[in-house]
Amino acid sequence: MTTQQKITDSPIDFAEDIIHDVKNSREEGVLKCVQCGMCTSTCPAARHSDYNPREIIERVLDGDLTIIEEDNIWNCFYCYTCHSVCPVGNSVCEVNQILKQLAINNEIAWDKIYEYLGFADSYFNAAIGAIPEIFFTQIDEDVPGWWEFRQNLADIRDELNLDPPLLPDDDVIDEVSLILTITGFKEKIEKIRDSQEDIK
Amino acid sequence: MKSVPDKNILLFRSCLVSVEYPGVEASTKFVFDKLGVDYAISEKQTCCTGLGYYSDVFNQLDTSAIGARNFSVAKDLNRPNLVMMCATCYAINKKSVKLLNKNDELREEINTLFDENGLSHLKYEKDDLKPTENIFHVVDILYSKRDKIKENIKYDLSDYKIATHHGCHYCKVHYEDTIGGVRDPNIIDDIVEACGCKSIGWYDHKRATCGTGFRQRYSNPELSFNATADKMNAVYDEDVDILVHLCPNCHIQFDRYQHLISKREGKEYKAIHLNVAQFVALAMGGDFDKVIGVKAHTVPIDSIIKELKEVDK
Amino acid sequence: MRDDLKVGVFICECGGNISDTIDLDEVKDSLDVDFIGQFENLCSLNGRKIIRDAIFDHDLDRVVVAACSPISHEKTFQDYVKPLNPYFMDMANVREQCSWVHSDKKKATQKAITLINASIEKVKQSDAVDPIYCQTPDEVAVIGGGIAGMNAALSLAKQGTKVTLIEQSPSIGGHMAKIGKVFSPVKIAEECGMCLLNPILNELVWNENIEVITNAKVIEAERRSGTYNLIIEKSPRYVDVDRCIACGKCSEVCDIEVPNDWNDGLSMRKAIYRPFGQSYPEAYVIDMENCDKCGNCFRECNMKAIRLKSKPEKMLLQVGSIILATGHKLFDMDKRPEYGYDRYDDVITQSELGRITGVNGPTKGKLLKSNGEVPKRIVMIQCVGSRDEKPDGHRYCSRICCTVALKNANIIKHKYPDTDVLICYTDIRTPGMFEKYYKHTQENEVRFLRGRPGEVVKKGDNFIVRVEDTLKGEFAEIEADMVVLSTAMEPSHGTREIAEILNIGTTEDGFIKESHPKIKPVTTDVQGIFVCGTAQDPKDITESIMQATAAASKVSEYNYGGVEIEPFIAEIDREKCTLCGDCIGKCKYKSMSIQGDEVYIDPMSCTGCGKCLVACTQRAISVNGNIDEKIMATIKGVLSKKEDNQRMILVFLDNIGYTAADNIGVNRLSYPESIYIIKVHSVNRVGPHHIHYALENGADGVFIGEFPGDLMYDEVERKVDKVKNTIASLNQNPERLTFSKVYIPYFSGLARKFIDFDKKIEELNEIEL
Repeated sequence: MTTQQKITDSPIDFAEDIIHDVKNSREEGVLKCVQCGMCTSTCPAARHSDYNPREIIERVLDGDLTIIEEDNIWNCFYCYTCHSVCPVGNSVCEVNQILKQLAINNEIAWDKIYEYLGFADSYFNAAIGAIPEIFFTQIDEDVPGWWEFRQNLADIRDELNLDPPLLPDDDVIDEVSLILTITGFKEKIEKIRDSQEDIK
Repeated sequence: MKSVPDKNILLFRSCLVSVEYPGVEASTKFVFDKLGVDYAISEKQTCCTGLGYYSDVFNQLDTSAIGARNFSVAKDLNRPNLVMMCATCYAINKKSVKLLNKNDELREEINTLFDENGLSHLKYEKDDLKPTENIFHVVDILYSKRDKIKENIKYDLSDYKIATHHGCHYCKVHYEDTIGGVRDPNIIDDIVEACGCKSIGWYDHKRATCGTGFRQRYSNPELSFNATADKMNAVYDEDVDILVHLCPNCHIQFDRYQHLISKREGKEYKAIHLNVAQFVALAMGGDFDKVIGVKAHTVPIDSIIKELKEVDK
Repeated sequence: MRDDLKVGVFICECGGNISDTIDLDEVKDSLDVDFIGQFENLCSLNGRKIIRDAIFDHDLDRVVVAACSPISHEKTFQDYVKPLNPYFMDMANVREQCSWVHSDKKKATQKAITLINASIEKVKQSDAVDPIYCQTPDEVAVIGGGIAGMNAALSLAKQGTKVTLIEQSPSIGGHMAKIGKVFSPVKIAEECGMCLLNPILNELVWNENIEVITNAKVIEAERRSGTYNLIIEKSPRYVDVDRCIACGKCSEVCDIEVPNDWNDGLSMRKAIYRPFGQSYPEAYVIDMENCDKCGNCFRECNMKAIRLKSKPEKMLLQVGSIILATGHKLFDMDKRPEYGYDRYDDVITQSELGRITGVNGPTKGKLLKSNGEVPKRIVMIQCVGSRDEKPDGHRYCSRICCTVALKNANIIKHKYPDTDVLICYTDIRTPGMFEKYYKHTQENEVRFLRGRPGEVVKKGDNFIVRVEDTLKGEFAEIEADMVVLSTAMEPSHGTREIAEILNIGTTEDGFIKESHPKIKPVTTDVQGIFVCGTAQDPKDITESIMQATAAASKVSEYNYGGVEIEPFIAEIDREKCTLCGDCIGKCKYKSMSIQGDEVYIDPMSCTGCGKCLVACTQRAISVNGNIDEKIMATIKGVLSKKEDNQRMILVFLDNIGYTAADNIGVNRLSYPESIYIIKVHSVNRVGPHHIHYALENGADGVFIGEFPGDLMYDEVERKVDKVKNTIASLNQNPERLTFSKVYIPYFSGLARKFIDFDKKIEELNEIEL
């Protein structure tokens, strides 16, 4: 296969966009990649799946925007091992997070985060993060006794004499809801949910 | 070494600790009280958004805005030292402080949103908090109080074979600040040693992830459990009794899923799982039910620790 | 009258180094002088013609060159302004102290204008004085007895120079002695390193101009212009070198065994030992840290050579110049624990492999694992600690590790063709003829895998190397029974120590810095001190020898050509002098003495600090060069350009502090634009009247820096304290004046101090508003 690079192509722009993303803490790290593969050598996802962090940077430096449509970028564990050892000071882990936000902004992979919208809901309802209920059945299957434990949680907490209570006051919940509304978060979440439920 | 505070601390509540292993919070309080650490817990503080952030649901603006709110809670209480029980809370809050100090655009955007919506009291001024001076994990505090821990040991746990698992989001995200290294992390090993025990030190996959991988555990269980199996098999090969860690998410992965992975791998895993605060609390005499919170554990603690013997004074 | 002088300003673009940051058109528009010109590279030879023509055409009396630091090119431009007196030229440092430390173009341009203006005011106050020429003693200290130091010493000795070679360990020879085999790119073969080293060693030992002092370290150094007084501490050997015949009987009866560091700890040696077979001096030595003083050796020695009660000795060495050849050490494997070096015996370094394959090594040249078996597969890991930005790693390439790995792989393949050798690399760097050796290695069936391993773990009897084969895009677990790490070269402890003792500039990586990395090799930023070998940067044997020879040649230049000394020194008016001798006692530099019927001032050691001026009741002493007025004019020049709301901090530094400040720019760090550095010959010449004037006329702060090794340091510190008190009594804030230590190697610390002081002044300004 031949890839053609036109004189007007500017592959490096993709990396530039990533460098300027708010999540990138590694300055010009992406540009300094020499493809040594140390990231892949230590990556749990590379060990157990087709995910290859080195290749992600290779494609970013090629200006290959189709990377955000790849299924396997969703295999990253966010364990930051690559980030902690990269000899040139790059972080594939952060680049991966940026690529996913890019995917979401481009209405790609909304199905991937649909199940996790529960994390958003719990903020509006209780101002805390809680494992989405959608997973409860599976957890209870995988973890014998978990459901029962959850039913007894209040008693266990009582015995441990834990104070303050689990859930914050309404004014705190209202304030957090307001924050997540004014950042545009709420609207984004609703849009994603609506589109996914329409499909279903 | 960086200076670790022992007063004006806001002990930052963690969503996973609260609902999965509340004993971690009780143990931290128990140990802090005994060590004379000045801390408080606030009902106004909310979660860090970490679980949502690493499920790609929350973006940086959302997370840092929530961060700014929590930082303002800490400042209002005159407790600017945030101490986390969860590795992800630690990483998330540290990143937000760094960004809010350094990234003028993000800070202005958040402050403007606050101003325009009657939330001016939450505004964050540059350098309100310092990432290296105000953001810590419980493990940092315990490490800085090693000598005092040594003086307060009640039970001798040195007969057990102990391995440590260092949460990725404590060690690797802001690795410049990590006490005890990141390539061969040792902060928990040093704390275990302060409790009169010796950890096994390095083992294969010591620095590897627990396998949770946020979405991987639910959406990609094969991948997730394969990574966890790496760790569990290594711990099994070393005949470990107690695996000590510092993050409730690792705790869930190991404790809740040990049976499942044991079955998958066809090996009889025996290790019990304790957070480092629980471990120290136990060594310092904390009660199983009233402090350690063993009822929340899936792998029964008493499957390994059948009786406690007091140290010779 | 001085105001009528015609001044010409020559601005250098420095090939973009200056003009990319500073808007030179704006600079030119803002200056009111008799001639102004802008040039691409003023230091080039045609700069001479440009400057000379302009001096004639415009009848210039004074010249300001706005370019790089005077440390770089003052001599050049002093020459270019001929026939004007060299001191009628002043340099405005708009590169190291402006364009290289500031990125805001507008502010940098404003600052450049101010700096040039200050130079104009200063140069108008200059008097015509002539430089003084002096000769330095033709005696040289070479510090470090490895391959570089030995060659430098030999080259100088053969030119008739007396050399003292100072070596910290009990024998000269350095790393090359233990390297085993070496190869050159031209010969596609490995040959015995010791056989090449020995003739050099012998030649050196027999040369009458060389004295070798082993077990010795420079612990103090004092520089008095052309002469260095080195205090050398010689640790006892506990064996009389003149009596010992190296028979080895002592060692046979010694009961103590400790790891042999010459074999990288792979074998044991006794507490009384000879470092290696060909070591020099040819004598045994006692490792007193491990000796239990049982007396066996003492009783056994027929030559009565054992001296158990020896004490360390200090000796003074006076030399005209110094060559540093203090070398490197290897990367500490604690810093990369994932490769298991500390955990497993058969994870070793290339240096250890060199010992194992060396016929004079622990296994007499047999390639054996710790269990005594020949390894089946050896995996080599390149770039361990090199090309690594992570904490404790080095960003640079250590340059020799690729070829060292190839060499050791070939040596193994020659003797053990069945042992599989796999080199995991990121890039194989074999420039020039070395490429042929790379091909030769491939022909020997050495295998290569492109990928940087993540970790080495032990599974059963073997290791697993986890690495991505990046050419295949596959994660691999490779079984091996020996792993060899190609560890980075880094500055030795000795290199770091000597830089501090001699106050020599180092690079950000801790190597000795050359005064210009491109065109002034082997010279350091201290006159009369030169560097060679791996103390300067990672390099191989051939390059070390070339650099050693170059350093020797530079020393000869210096010894025969003499030293030019700035003429700003004290002078005695013999008519007024009563020979009371008060000045002699006051001079911290011991420059003054009565010789015959006059007070003699040694031009090499006088710094023109002016301390003697105060001591002389007859007012018979003056310091050449109108220095007081020049300082005042510079201050006025800086402050005259101050704008509303602009912060200005005046920093006074002598040559040492100024070099440190230049290094901030050379290393592209930054500090606030408010910092204006004024170079003075001696910080002591900055008087209370200068400071008062500055603070009363717009300076927001005054920063005075002095090198603690300067003999006037305490004096200056006291003086600044006194000035602080008077400032307070004049109702000004004494915190606006600060005094600080400066060191050439700690330029980053100086940058931080600038930043902190600027911040403090900003806060004071806010409060006092």
